[in-house]
Amino acid sequence: MWYLANYLEKNYAVSINGQESAWLIYLIVAIASALVMLGFASLFAGLASFVERRIAGRIMARVGPNRVGPQGLFQFVADGLKLIMKEDLIPNGADRFLFKIAPYFVFAGMLGTFVVLPFGANIVAANMDVGIFYIISITALVVVGIILGGWASNSKWSMFGGLRSAAQIVSYEIPLALSILVVVLLSGSLSTQGIISAQGGLPWDWFIFHSPFAFIAFFIYFVSALAEGNRTPFDLPEAESELVAGYCTEYSGFRFVVFFFAEWANLWIMSAIAVICFLGGWRVPFISVEESTSSWGIILLGLAIFMVKTLALVVVVIQLRWTLPRLRLDQMMNLCWKYLVPGSFVCILGTMTWMVLIDWNSMIGLVLRVVVFAGAFMLLAYYIYRIRFNYMIDRDNYKKMTGKDMWYPPYRLP
Amino acid sequence: MSSSTNLTLGQYFKNIQNAALSTLEGMAVTFSWLFRRPITIQWPDKIEKPLEETLPERTRGILEVETRICTGCLACQKACPIDTISIDMERNAETKERFIARFDIDAAKCMYCGLCVDACPTGAIRHTTLFAYATDNIDNLLLSYVDKGEKVTPFRPKDPQPELRARGSIGKNVLERNLKSKN
Amino acid sequence: MQQRKIAMVKQELKDLHELKQLYQPVADEMLVNMGPQHPSTHGVLNFLLVTDGEVMHKAVAHVGYLHRGIEKIGEAVEYNGFVPFTDRVDYLAAMSANQGFAMAVEKLASIQVPERAEYLRVIATELNRIASHLVANGAMAMDIGAFTPFVHWLKEREFVNDLMEELCGARLTYNYIRIGGVAFDCGKELAEKIVKWIDHFEPMVDEFDRLITNNEIFVQRLANVSPISAEEAMSYNLVGPNLRASGVDWDIRRDVPYSVYSKFDFKIPVGKGFRGTVGDCYDRFVLRILEIRESCKILRQALATMPEGEIMAKVPKTIKPPKGEAIARVESARGELFYYVVSDGSSKPLRVKIRAGSFTAMSIIEHLSKGVMIADLVAIIGSLDVVAPEVDR
Repeated sequence: MWYLANYLEKNYAVSINGQESAWLIYLIVAIASALVMLGFASLFAGLASFVERRIAGRIMARVGPNRVGPQGLFQFVADGLKLIMKEDLIPNGADRFLFKIAPYFVFAGMLGTFVVLPFGANIVAANMDVGIFYIISITALVVVGIILGGWASNSKWSMFGGLRSAAQIVSYEIPLALSILVVVLLSGSLSTQGIISAQGGLPWDWFIFHSPFAFIAFFIYFVSALAEGNRTPFDLPEAESELVAGYCTEYSGFRFVVFFFAEWANLWIMSAIAVICFLGGWRVPFISVEESTSSWGIILLGLAIFMVKTLALVVVVIQLRWTLPRLRLDQMMNLCWKYLVPGSFVCILGTMTWMVLIDWNSMIGLVLRVVVFAGAFMLLAYYIYRIRFNYMIDRDNYKKMTGKDMWYPPYRLP
Repeated sequence: MSSSTNLTLGQYFKNIQNAALSTLEGMAVTFSWLFRRPITIQWPDKIEKPLEETLPERTRGILEVETRICTGCLACQKACPIDTISIDMERNAETKERFIARFDIDAAKCMYCGLCVDACPTGAIRHTTLFAYATDNIDNLLLSYVDKGEKVTPFRPKDPQPELRARGSIGKNVLERNLKSKN
Repeated sequence: MQQRKIAMVKQELKDLHELKQLYQPVADEMLVNMGPQHPSTHGVLNFLLVTDGEVMHKAVAHVGYLHRGIEKIGEAVEYNGFVPFTDRVDYLAAMSANQGFAMAVEKLASIQVPERAEYLRVIATELNRIASHLVANGAMAMDIGAFTPFVHWLKEREFVNDLMEELCGARLTYNYIRIGGVAFDCGKELAEKIVKWIDHFEPMVDEFDRLITNNEIFVQRLANVSPISAEEAMSYNLVGPNLRASGVDWDIRRDVPYSVYSKFDFKIPVGKGFRGTVGDCYDRFVLRILEIRESCKILRQALATMPEGEIMAKVPKTIKPPKGEAIARVESARGELFYYVVSDGSSKPLRVKIRAGSFTAMSIIEHLSKGVMIADLVAIIGSLDVVAPEVDR
């Protein structure tokens, strides 16, 4: 959006009392882009909640929401309206001010990251030089909100949830930042657009396939991001079978919506950062960085590529949530300090050595990248083979038992 | 992810491998379910036939009484362990004939054990496959198979077999009348 | 308003004081109520946790929230009329509860049950055992945080329920096994349906293993958590899968044979410390899966060798057993279910006593809960497969 502001300033200078006031344009553009981001985040959070429930439903051999609107698409609107109309309860003995303000910390922490998240070649609110650094620091606001909410609720279960969350998020910041450091090493830039520009459009030009170390760093980032976002298997702060609902046990109505809005918006944030850092961002194959802003068609193509990659990751995160059980608190700490932190250090050292030994632009570098890509592709093929195996093992028996075909595509409704 | 304190290096890498592979296996199972038929049905609107018709023959839904073949022997009333059934037998003052003046089944109390059905000598009391009778007034669940003022002559085994009504139709009528009248 | 608030706070403080007198938490300890409304207490159980945050110092189980006085009801209804009440003792394994009472009364009144009825009893109870273990394991997986296995198991249980509905007309409270036999016969078509379901179900157990049993996170959550040694298990009077998981090879079906179990070839799985120590939570989980597989074997054999014949012995309409007393023991899904019936010669029992496995399983929780984490306590409750109505009856 900064491009837009610059452009406006050059061509339509606004003057107040005869003085040129660039700040006004900047202010208007900033507010406009903030509103766009808020709109996008809330729409995505709503749709993500719908998609998550549909996927969860199908994974659990159910159908999922299908009543409101086409395919049940407006279920989130109905749920949101219902929650907003509910009574806003504040428990007896709660710290009213902190209790009220806690959801907004979470909200601000989530929405703040959207400032530097790019969507396309020049579709970004602010192309900050320290973009990644900014993301890591502003998401720390979330933990403040969760601790406040947990403590101010005056409920022991809430407090457990808040404290668990604090332990978890503070620990997992380290492997998260370290694994992103691998990317920073590779690209030589902290800005999100800079990182994307350093990658290529084809899969083997992405940072994830640069070396086995970068490949591992991607998974370290992914696991840490799951923990940052309180997603299963790291949903200890809201572990529903242990802590009732963790830090949001006592929340209801709109404040509850805000917590869950943040959780689903975070889905986008963590997937988008993974795509930016490791999976090539909005880069279109066979088109160089300079050309990628040349026409609207290419920009929109880049936007679509970015969206598809991010949404694929979102689906994986959702699927993980409905596959894995939850870790225990000490195991969660073990995983962080004994596996992820040493692992990310190894990744940094390994990537550094790799960079010294093998040049990115050399032929051998390209061949090695293609080899890593082929390895990952084999893993994917194995995964698809296992999916088919699971499907086939029950197909005939199911038909014999119920007399119905087992095939049922994901979009079909009863 | 092992919590044991003395971890060998081999165990360390084995843990990582186990975690990664078992997660992949689990995800393969869950992903395959996106293409498999769900078990649930969309009751009550999006199904081909009403569920009552697809339930098995022996399903124990709400009780109904075919008063045309009820002998008034009170066997069901005695068999019921929780006094769900209340029958009043009265005698006509002029003809001295017995008649059934009341045959109430409290569907709110009934636990669908089927002991009354076993006890009935003619099969007059029987289970239907009806199961959906949620209401906001508990009085609606008192199913009267003999209306107030109606005098039903008990069936005698040597009488000619009367025409029997379809299973489920009597109970459905009474239930619908109850839900309509006393809301 | 203000005064009411003050009174409320005063009452709260008084309650807290009483609790503190009772449990005497030292510094850094707090008392937390887990239940009776808590997602992982499987019904209405209440645990009072003495904890310092995450690590538990003690968890005291409070029972009685679901007490309906079923034993007392037994003194007020006739013998036949009590059978539906036994369904409510343990709603997940109602068949075994039916069978226990029926066997006790048959002993009292010396009724000989026809052989086909015995086969049908075995088929019904084994199907019911599978259904019960499905819920136990599924709910345990849900307590650990994996929701999908729970729903998948409930899906399979739904098929069992459908079969049960076709067999006896009810999905949960069957009232199928009556005194002197069973209520309904199992036709050829239904027998084929059961076999078809087993054909479908056995690969699904493998799929379940791939989904959750072999999952590394799940294994680490359960292995080595609160192992119960064989001595402990016996001194706390554990029964059923919980006892066998501790390495004690004891099953009523094999060791005190009843019904026609002696005619079938099946193994009794025993806990071996599959991924940790003997008798830990993971053993109890895996043992139930192994038992499900064994039950499938028994079902196949029973359906293949079922003889023709009567399904009900000649029993008078009102059973009046002679004066005396009788006991019956059956292996329910939750272990040994014990019935003690005293008759005074009338049509109603003088005394019915039920001893169920969940109650003893509850009693060991306080012992196991020392020094574990809150997340582990949830796993322990789940692994012991406590069913609240069976605890209180």
